[in-house]
Formats: sequence, structure tokens, C-alpha cells
Amino acid sequence: MSHHQAVAPKPADDPAFTMPALLSGMSLPLCIGGLIALVGGAFLGTTSLGGKFGMSAYLTAYMYAFTIALGSLFFVLIQHLARAGWSVVVRRVAELMMVMLLPLALMFLPIAFSVWNGSLYSWTDPGYQAEHGVPAAVWAEKIRWLNPQWFTFRALLYFGIWCATAWWYYSKSQRQDETGEVTLTESMQARSGPAVILFSFCTAFAAFDWVMSLAPMWFSTMFGVYIFTGSILSAHCAIALLSFVLQKQGAIRDEVTIEHYHDLGKLIFGFICFWGYIAFSQYMLIWYANIPEETHWFAGRYPGFSDTFGPIAIALMVLHWGLPFLGIMSRHVRRRPWAVAAWSLYILVMHFVDLYWAIMPEANLGAGGVVGVISSLLCVIGMVALMLGLVIVVGSGTRLIPVRDPRLGESLAFENI
Amino acid sequence: MSLAVPNGLDNSVERPGTRAPLVLGESSYHSITEAVCKIAENPPSKLWVISFLVAVHLATMLGLCIAYLFYTGVGVWGNRNPVFWGWPIVNFVFWVGIGHAGTLISAILYLFRQEWRTSINRTAEAMTIFAVVCAGTFPGIHVGRAWLAFWLAPYPSLNLWMWPQFRSPLLWDVFAVSTYATVSLLFWYMGMVPDLATFRDRSKNPFRRAVYGVLSLGWSGSSRHWMRYEKAYALLAAFAAPLVLSVHTIVSFDFAVSQVPGWHTTIFPPYFVAGAIFSGFAMVITLMVPARAIFSIEKLITIRHLENMCKIILTTGMIVGLAYGTEFFIAWYGQVTEEKFAFINRAMGPYWWAYWTMITCNVISPNIFWWKKARTTPWIMFVVSIFVNIGMWFERFVITVTSLSRDYLPSAWAYFEPTWVDWAMLIGSFGLFFTLFLLFCRLMPIVNMAETKATLAKELHMAHKDGH
Amino acid sequence: MSETKPAPKTVADGNTVHGVVAEFSDVDSLLAACERVRDAGYTKADAFTPFPVHGIDKALGIKPTVLPWIALTAGAIGTCTALTMQIWMNGIDYQYIISGKPYISLPAFIPVSFELTILFASFGTFFGMWALNGLPRFSNPMFTSPRFDRATDDTFFLYLDAKDKRFNEEGAKALLGDLGGAYIEPVVEDDSPKKIPSFLLIAIAVVIAFSMIPALVVARMRVTKSSSPRFHIFPDMDFSPAKDAQQISTLFADGRAMRPDVPGTVSRGGLDWDVDFQTGIDMEKLAQVDAPRARQLVAMMQSDTEVVEADGEVAGEEEAVKEVVEETTEEVQADEPSTDEPSADEPASEEPAAEEPEAEMTEEAEAPAEEEPAAEETESTEETPAEEEPAAEEPAEEEMTAEETPAEEPAAEGPSEEEPVAEAKTEEPEAEASKPEAPTALAPASGPTVDTTPWLTDNPLAIDAAVLQRGQQQFNIYCSVCHGMNGRGNGLVNQRAQRILATTWTPPSNLHDATLYQDVYPDGKLFGTISNGVRKMPGYAAQIRAKDRWAIVSYVRALQASQNASLEEVPASQREAIEKKQSEVKAELEKAAAEEAAKAQKTAT
Repeated sequence: MSHHQAVAPKPADDPAFTMPALLSGMSLPLCIGGLIALVGGAFLGTTSLGGKFGMSAYLTAYMYAFTIALGSLFFVLIQHLARAGWSVVVRRVAELMMVMLLPLALMFLPIAFSVWNGSLYSWTDPGYQAEHGVPAAVWAEKIRWLNPQWFTFRALLYFGIWCATAWWYYSKSQRQDETGEVTLTESMQARSGPAVILFSFCTAFAAFDWVMSLAPMWFSTMFGVYIFTGSILSAHCAIALLSFVLQKQGAIRDEVTIEHYHDLGKLIFGFICFWGYIAFSQYMLIWYANIPEETHWFAGRYPGFSDTFGPIAIALMVLHWGLPFLGIMSRHVRRRPWAVAAWSLYILVMHFVDLYWAIMPEANLGAGGVVGVISSLLCVIGMVALMLGLVIVVGSGTRLIPVRDPRLGESLAFENI
Repeated sequence: MSLAVPNGLDNSVERPGTRAPLVLGESSYHSITEAVCKIAENPPSKLWVISFLVAVHLATMLGLCIAYLFYTGVGVWGNRNPVFWGWPIVNFVFWVGIGHAGTLISAILYLFRQEWRTSINRTAEAMTIFAVVCAGTFPGIHVGRAWLAFWLAPYPSLNLWMWPQFRSPLLWDVFAVSTYATVSLLFWYMGMVPDLATFRDRSKNPFRRAVYGVLSLGWSGSSRHWMRYEKAYALLAAFAAPLVLSVHTIVSFDFAVSQVPGWHTTIFPPYFVAGAIFSGFAMVITLMVPARAIFSIEKLITIRHLENMCKIILTTGMIVGLAYGTEFFIAWYGQVTEEKFAFINRAMGPYWWAYWTMITCNVISPNIFWWKKARTTPWIMFVVSIFVNIGMWFERFVITVTSLSRDYLPSAWAYFEPTWVDWAMLIGSFGLFFTLFLLFCRLMPIVNMAETKATLAKELHMAHKDGH
Repeated sequence: MSETKPAPKTVADGNTVHGVVAEFSDVDSLLAACERVRDAGYTKADAFTPFPVHGIDKALGIKPTVLPWIALTAGAIGTCTALTMQIWMNGIDYQYIISGKPYISLPAFIPVSFELTILFASFGTFFGMWALNGLPRFSNPMFTSPRFDRATDDTFFLYLDAKDKRFNEEGAKALLGDLGGAYIEPVVEDDSPKKIPSFLLIAIAVVIAFSMIPALVVARMRVTKSSSPRFHIFPDMDFSPAKDAQQISTLFADGRAMRPDVPGTVSRGGLDWDVDFQTGIDMEKLAQVDAPRARQLVAMMQSDTEVVEADGEVAGEEEAVKEVVEETTEEVQADEPSTDEPSADEPASEEPAAEEPEAEMTEEAEAPAEEEPAAEETESTEETPAEEEPAAEEPAEEEMTAEETPAEEPAAEGPSEEEPVAEAKTEEPEAEASKPEAPTALAPASGPTVDTTPWLTDNPLAIDAAVLQRGQQQFNIYCSVCHGMNGRGNGLVNQRAQRILATTWTPPSNLHDATLYQDVYPDGKLFGTISNGVRKMPGYAAQIRAKDRWAIVSYVRALQASQNASLEEVPASQREAIEKKQSEVKAELEKAAAEEAAKAQKTAT
């Protein structure tokens, strides 16, 4: 029973829907600077602390950008699946991040290469079995899954599916900008179901392949879900933050309203809890059963066992879950766009800490001292800058909201209860 | 009773940009009141009386079985070494899983502003309460000396001089299930108060009026009351949603914190939750499809409501399937001998029939919902929902019994055989459930009238606006 | 109607008027009217609607509620309660370790903390909401009008409260009329009788009175005593059919109260089938002398072996063992009807249960056909030790290697030889006091009854230092408390019994008595005594494994030997050391004697 007036969308070619000039101008410096920082960081890590450390730092940065892009893809799919109306105004922002999966597929090459020259994953090390006393029969089965050929093929398969989905949804959405065909929405809706299933399948297995297999003998059925929660949480934060930045620069000011921030804030709050739930459940089950096959993974990341990652584990609990949980709980916070944006930025930082904690211990060098930290940070800053530059490049060539989406009016008029 | 779609009641097609109506026909506020109230006000139909008698008989059978159990001891069940968690625990997890859809539909769909929840949430919540009653019965009698079950409570006992063991998942279960039952009851009752006031105001009989008057707490419909009421409802929904997740998570902890092969796997919490939603929605469909036909409320519980539920069943079915697959994959990938054996044993061991029943019912049968025709045909969804109910019972059977019957010690392996008491109790628990549910249909407002009217108001408003 | 009681402003027809109410038929006109009323300055206006109307809070100027804060507070209290409770109960007040977890296991405390947080927050929300709304409130002036029944159906009401500063009845009516309200009426005080009907009061009183009865009964029972047994509302296994070991039971199909071992299982150490080894008796000879007794002993040893049939593989290593097993199973099968019969025919439960095995034995002995298996049995028992020997040799070989290191033996024997010497001196007076009694106590055992049992004369264990050490260790644990560390029969228990002059005490044997030497008291008999006890001494078969009992036998022999061994018996390599020690001791003794003599002289002079 709304009293609000239905808001008529602005004309499709309104200047508010184009990339603000300040941002467009920053795209090239961002791309170049980002690339330099990324390569520099990986190089620094490799030369001073060895190939394994350098590649681990790269993988952390890569997974960071990748999970955000992947979460954005999921966001888009789920909005279609649920026929959501409220989210139309922020969907294009998500779509821009979603298409980053295509460049990210290229950025995966160093990782794929490292599998063949054996510098990142310890299962590529022929001496691993003897060193860790793994029974021959077990190892023989293990390397039937963890071998360079099959690993590369699987990565190709995952990227094939993700990139095809992302590109298909992006181009359909683009076309609707021009034609406003309602059937496009219908066909996107119809395909979202199977797409989500393929997505979940690939995400779970990619998490096993790329992160879990860093510790080849460790296993947790929950791990795919763990990576996925981080992914979907960071994607929502990135959407809120990017929308806020765009609005500050003068674009989509009237379209994305307090109501949308309120909703994004609610979802972020929900996903923080979900992350806490998944992280806790995984830890709790392994801690409680106390089986050596499983506990060794946490042992390298646990207070009292690791001086570097132990405190980070505590920090994750308090700062990744506790603090934002209390911070975003209030409706008053969620109804202030700047507050939502600030918390989003904060959580995005925490998401990096989360991945850092999951990936870096396997390089067996702790944080790698000051050089190691600088290397890790350079990598991730470079990666983020590069992706941001690319998002701006892609965004400059399109509109910042799906201007002819049939549900745009509903989204514009959206009000929380 | 006809399960076919009456003409003109198909609102399952929605053009993007518009929203298909959720209240159909020439409905007005008053017609909604009429449609819902007459279910309770008219004398019971023959069908209701017969169903009720059958259900009461089955529930009585459950009661007699429990008496027999108390008198004789837990040996009357098929629980034998090494399967000490037999059907009672299977039934518990089955019922508590069903119990989750109700609050979930209410709470999570409410939080996600899914307006189609309004006409099904009341039944779903009632189903929750009754399923939790059934669920609570089983661990209650499974403790052996049920009359001492209060020892589970942390009270300062002068006889025991000790406290319960809070590091045990079984005690978490006690807290989780009782909290869940309490909060669900509050949520259900609170949601019902305005509708009970409607019942009160329509009652001619002074006794009825007095009873409903007390139950509705003097509700007047004041806007100030509504404001606080809605806030409270949203808050309760926000509490109930994580509560639903936590309860089935804790039920999964019962299994997963142990080291029994096939039980200890980290995906159990989300996988159990998905399974609970899956079975719960199936049970809602099982109840709703006949109920809407019998009570002629197709205009309120429309095909669109049912279709949405079918979609959720499909989704959660896929999640459950993915979890089965992941478990199997990790059992192989992890290369732990016992874990590998446990899963191969499930599929190929003596309980292969249970495993493949589970896969067929849970993973294969919902796939029919990829076709819109199936999603909009009540009898098909009714059949599939029955399949899913069966499949989900078997899922719990497979988890509980196959893992226990063959664990680390081959000399202690054994095949589980249920006794007649096991059978009678399972059937009897359905009797209890349907007894309570049929009583609810007769005595309480089975559709949330206030919220449905609010939905209608919104649709009228939209139509009014479009008319301009 | 959460406001405080309205102050009556107008009186119509003798009734207090609380305000004025008007009806509206749809949401939009109601909202418009609300806005106008608000703009007109009314602050205590209220609308009554059948469902929550979106936007009416703004239209009426209703302020947000504090409910979320109540919920938050309640939730926080829940968390604190749960954590405090769990930490106090499991971490402080009642500590015990379970599954290796710390007393205060925060991860394990999280689920309950979460649940109680939600529970408390929900209670806060639920009861807080009703409290803020002032409900339950069953008497409401709004309900006086029958038209108001439709407020929960399809009609919308706008109400102007008389408490409002701007309120005057006519003005309010006019305003509502202007806004399009229908059926504008004053809301008057509910004039229905407020007195609770007396029949209701009586009914409530009766119910309360009746409900007190159980409590009173319980209270009375708590303070009075009764000699009659307590009520068994729940059986609680108070009447479970408890039986002694050998009794007949109707509970189980096989009629036995005692349960046989679980099929397919072997008890710890139960894989040893050598009857001779277990009894210390040469069973082959015994079978010739006293077949029934041999049969009985074998049956006793192998009473659980019927189950082995199902799991032959376990015992399958040795054919001979299998044979024994098969025979005994035959026997048991033959036995079964005979155990059943008495229970069926006679009032068996009154018969002393202990008689039964004897009865069976006589039955079997009478059946000549059954003597054959007994003969076969002796053959098989003959085979058994023969085949077991290699197995027994294996450890022996290992121990040989231990023997090669010469340092061990003197270490083991040295003290044992020394101690008796030292103790003998210090304890002589006591030992002398008890000595005269010892033979009389021993007499009945070794005297009149002629023991025809063919005891094993030799220790079946291969004796070496390890066995002796084991024997010493076990002896010191189990035997020395009575027999003394040196075997002279003056352990701590005996000392105390003497001190308190215990009348029922039979002093333990002096193991150095000649009647216990190997030639008159064979190793097998000594083993049998350790296993089954003698006189006041209990049997130790249940506590000490057969192998260890044999080790004790070997150690007792060593103890006996130590008392009158000549130096020639000691291996040449160690003789020197002993001689050296002997001379040292002698020198010291002489020195001491000399000193004493000197002292004596001194005192004398």
C-alpha cells in the first residue's frame, strides 16, 4: 500500500547514465599503474622470497578480484531468477563487475602456468609424497585428480561456463538498453535457473581446485560454500561502494536512492551473518572431531600454532564478523548511503584478510616479513586498480543503469516497508 | 475433490514490468473474510470428519505404542548394536526438517518481501508447530527413561548435584528445538491475533466469542497497535530466520561432530538446512493442494503460490543433489579409507535400495518442475511432493542407519531391522500431525486474512493507478 | 489505545464520551482524512483498520516505537545469561573432561548462546509489543458499538479522542463529516456490568481448591514416613528379573541367566587353549586316572567355546585346538537338553543351583558312549602342547638375546639373595614366634589327603631373566603383601594381623618350608594354588594372567633356591662379584661385631 508516486525513468540518453568524466580519465592510469603494481608485487615476492611466495601473493590478489566478479555474476543471476524489481538500478554496476570474469580468465594464465612448472601448488612437487609420508596408493588416487592436464582442463571448463554466462547476460542487457524488448527479460529469466546450477557446480569445484588443493591432503566439503559466501558478500559491498562512488561523481544520482542502500545494507548484514555461520560451522566441526587429517589445516592458521596467522584468525572473528555485525545492525546506519559505503569498504578490506589467511599459510613463509607484506599488498592493490580501470573502460562504453528494463519503474519507486 | 485448475484462476504468467495478482476473482476485503471464516464457521464436512477419525485413531496408536515402550523399555524398537540411533532419530530429523519450512516461509520470505507468502504462511507456520510436536516426541521417548527427561534442563538439582554437559551437541539440540518451538509458537500466535479478532467479531455464539475474545487479547486494529505489531513481526521474522538455520545446523551437528564415517563432513550444516527447506515445502504442497480444493480457497492460494513453491523445491532439490555429489567426491578426494568405504557402502552395500530411493525421490523427481506444465498442475506437484517426503525420510534413514551399521569395526557390523513398534510409531506420528492439523483447519484462521487484505489493497491501488 | 485513561470531557445520556468515530470504506479516503486530521492539529487521533495500512503512521504522525531497543537489550541479556550459565556450570562449578575438550570450550558454547539470545530477544519483542500496546485489554469503549465489529473485516474507522486538546464533540463530528466519514458516532463508556458473575467465581474457587489437592498430597508425603515400599509410577527397571550367575531364567530363550560371550568375539587373553597351561595339571594323565574330573575341568575351561564354531577362523591356526573345540561343542550340545530338562520337569528354581553341574557330570559318566570323545580328547590335549611349543619358543628366543647381556641377571638375583639375609637377621624374633604355628596350619593340606592329581612337574615357560623379573614384579604386587617380600610368610598383612591378634587369621605359609619345595610340591600344584587359592588364600586366576602366574611360580622357585644355594650354582662369570660382595658384607659384619664387642667391653669396664 504505497503512497509514493511511480517515478518515470529519465530518457535513455540522459547524461546521468554515462560514466563521469573524472572516472573515465582515470581508467588508463589505473590500468597501467595497476598492472605495474601487480607485476612488481609478484616479482618482488618471487625474487626475494621464492617463486612459491610470489605466486601465492598473486593467487591471493587474483582470488580477491575473482571472487568479487563471481559474486556479481551470482547477484545478476539471482535477481533474474527471483524476478526482482528493487535491484534493477544497481544491476548494471554488478554487470560491469561481472564481465571482469573475461579479463580475469586471461589473468589466470600465470596460475595455470605455475601448475606446469610447479611453483605454486605443492601437489605438483614430485617429492611431496615422500616428504609427507603419503601412502603410495593414496597418492596415486590423489594425482588422478590433481595433475596439470586435468587441472588445466577443468579451469578451462569453469571459465568457459562463467565467461559464456557473464557475456550472454551482459550482451542481452545491453541490447535491451537499445530496444527495450520485454522478451529479453523473459529469456534471461528462463535461463537463470540452469545458469545458477552450473554456476554453483563450477564455484564449488573451483574453490576445491584453486584454494583447497594448496594443501593437497586437506579436505572439507564446506570449502566451496566458504569461498562462495565471501564472494557474494564482497560483491554486494562492491556494488554498494561503486554505486556510491558513481553518485558522488554525479551519475545515477536520482536513481539509486536511500531505499536501495538500505536493501543492500540488509543483504550485506545478512551475508556477514552467513559468512560467520559458514566459517564457524566449518571450524567447529573440524575442531570438535579433532581428526588429524583435517586439523592440520587449521593448525597452520591458529593462535598458538602460527604467530602470523593465529592473530589473523582472531582478527577475522572479531573484525570480519563481530564488528560489522554490530555496525550494520541498526536501520539508521543502513539508511545512510555514506555509512553503507564506508562499511562496504571496510568489509572489502576484511575480505582480503580472509583470503590472505586462507591462501598465504601454504607458502610456508608466514607473512614473509616486511618484503612479503609489501609484495602481497602491491599485488592486491595492483589487481584492484587494474580491475577498476577495466570496469571504467567497459562502463564508459555503456549506460550505468539498464535504462529500458521493464522493471525499472518499479525499482525507481521502490520503498522499504 | 478436484485437483484441476478452475478456469480463470491461472495467474502463473507474469509479464515483466507488471505483477500478476496474488488475490484472484472479484475479491473484496469482505469476501476474503467470508472465504476464510466460513471454513471454521460452517459445520464440518464428511470428508473432514472421516479424515479426523482416521487421524485420531493413528494418533491413539502412537500413544499406545509410547505406553508400551514406557512399560517394556526401549528394546521394543529395532535399535540394536551397532545401530543405536534407529528409526526414532530418523523420524525426529524428518519431522524437524518439515518443521522448518513453516517459519522459513514466514520469516525469510517476509524479509525478502515475497508477497506470495501471505496466503500460505499461516498453514505453513501451523505445520511447523505440529511437525515440531511430532519431532519432539521422538528424542523425548528415545532417552530411555522419558519421565526423567527433565534432567536435561540446567536446574540446580539436589538429587544429582551436577549440571548438564554443554559441550555435547545433544544438549544443544534440546535448547535449539525448544527455542525453535517456542519462537515458532509466538510467531504463529502473534500473526494470528488480528485474525482471531475477526473470528471474535463474527461469532454469534457467546461461548465462541468469549474464547476467541480471550485469544485475541482485545485486539482493536488501532493504527498505533498495528505499527508496533508490524515492527514486532519484522523483528520476530529477523530472529526466526537465523533460528531456522541454526536449529537444523545443530541437528546436523549431532551427526557431524562425531567421527563416524559418513557423518563427519563439514557440508552437513548448509546441506541439512537445504534439505529441511526442501522437505518442508514439499509438505506444504502436500497439505495445500488438497486443502485449497476442499475449502474452496483457490482464489487466495493460487496457482502462482504453488508454482513458486515448486520452484523452491526444484532449487533446494538441486542443492541437496549437489551436496550428495560433493560428499561423494570429497570422500574419494580425501582418500580416507573409512570415509570412502562409507559412501560406497551407501550406494552399493546392503542398504543400496534406501540410497537409490533417496536419490530417485530427492534428486531426480523434482526435475519434472523444469516444465511449467508440471509446476502449474496441482496433481503432479502433489505426487512429486509425496515423493520428496519419502525421499527425505530415506535421506535421514541412509545417513543414520547405513553409517552406524558399518563403521570402523567390521566385527560389529549388523543389519538394522525395524520392529512393528517402529512402523506403528512412524505411522502414528503422521496421525498425530494430521489430527492437530485438521483441528487447526476447523478452529483457526487457516489463511492470514489481514495480510491477504493488505496484498489486495496494494493490488487495488495499482489497478486504480493503471486505470488513470 | 496505549494512552493513559482518557479524561472525560462530555457526558451524553449519562455515559462518558471517550471520543468520536467515523467510518470509511476504503484506504485512500481514510489516508486523506488522516492527513487532514493531523493537519487540523489533532495529535491523539487514531485509525482502526482490518489490516496494516502502509503510510498511515506518517499520515497520523505516529512516532516510531522503541521496540527494537527492547529486543536488543533482551537479546544481549540472553547472550550473557547463556555464556555465564555454561561457563559457570561446566567450567567452574562442575568440572569434568569430556572428549578432550577444555572446561571452558567457547566454540561448543556458541550454539546454546545463540539459541538463548534469540529466545530472549523473541520474548522481549513479543511481550514488549503487547505491553507497549496495552494489551490484553478486554474492555474497550470502542467495542460498545456493534458496527465496530467490522473493523476487523472490511471497514476503516477514524477516531478522535476526547483527551485531545483540540477536541470538542460537535467540532469533531463536523470535521469527520467534512472528510466523508459515514456513521459518525460518539464512543461511550462500556456500560455492561463490570461485576464478575458469581457462578464464575465459584467455579474458579472450586478449580483452585481441587488443583491444590495433588500439591497437598505431595507436601504431606514429603514430611511423613512410611514403612510400605514406595510407589512405582514408572517401573524404572525396579522389577527387572535379576538372577544369579548359575540360575535358570525365563527371560532368555536358552534358559540361562548368564549370557555367553558375544558370537564372533574373543575376550582379552582368551585365545589360549592350552588346558595344561591353564590348570597346571597334566590333563592326559588325569584323564586316565579320573576321566570325569578331566572332562569337567576341560568343560570349565572351554565353557564359552561353543561360540567359536561360528568363527573357526580365529582359532583355525591350530588343528588340535579345533578338535578340542569341536568336541567340547558336541558336549555342550549334548548338555543342553539336560540343562533344560530339570528346569522344565521339576520345580528347579528351588533346587540349589550349585548341584546342577554335578548332576550332569554323573549323567555323562554313566553314558558309556560318551567316554570315547574323552579319550580322543586326551589325545588332542597331547597334541596341543606339542604344537604350541614353537609358539612358546618364539618369545623364549627373544629373551635369550636379553640373557646375553650378562649385567641383568646379577642385578635380578643379587638383591633377592641379599634381602633374605638381611631380613632374616632383623626379623628373627618375630619369625621364631610364628614358626611353631606354621606346621600345624600346614598339616591338614599336605597331611591326610592324598593328592593324586598329576600336577605338571615343570614350569611350561622357558625360564629366563625376563620371566623371573616378571615373576618378581607380580609376586611383589600380589603375593608379598601376605607372604612378605622374601617369602617367609611375614608380609605386612600378616604383621598387622599378629599385632591385632586377629582370631580368624591363618598365617600365610612360609615359602621356604621344605614341604613346598619342588620335589614334594610340584610346579603345577603351586600354579594351581595361586590360581584357585588354598585355605584362607583366595585364587588369583581372575587377576593374574596364566603366563604371569607361571612366572610367579618360577620366581618362588628362585626364592626357595636362594636360601640354600651353593656358590657353584652361580654362573662362573658372576661368582667373583658375589664373592667380593660376600667378603665385603662379612668384613662389615665382623667390623660391626668387633665394634659391638668393644662397646660391650667399654660398658663392662
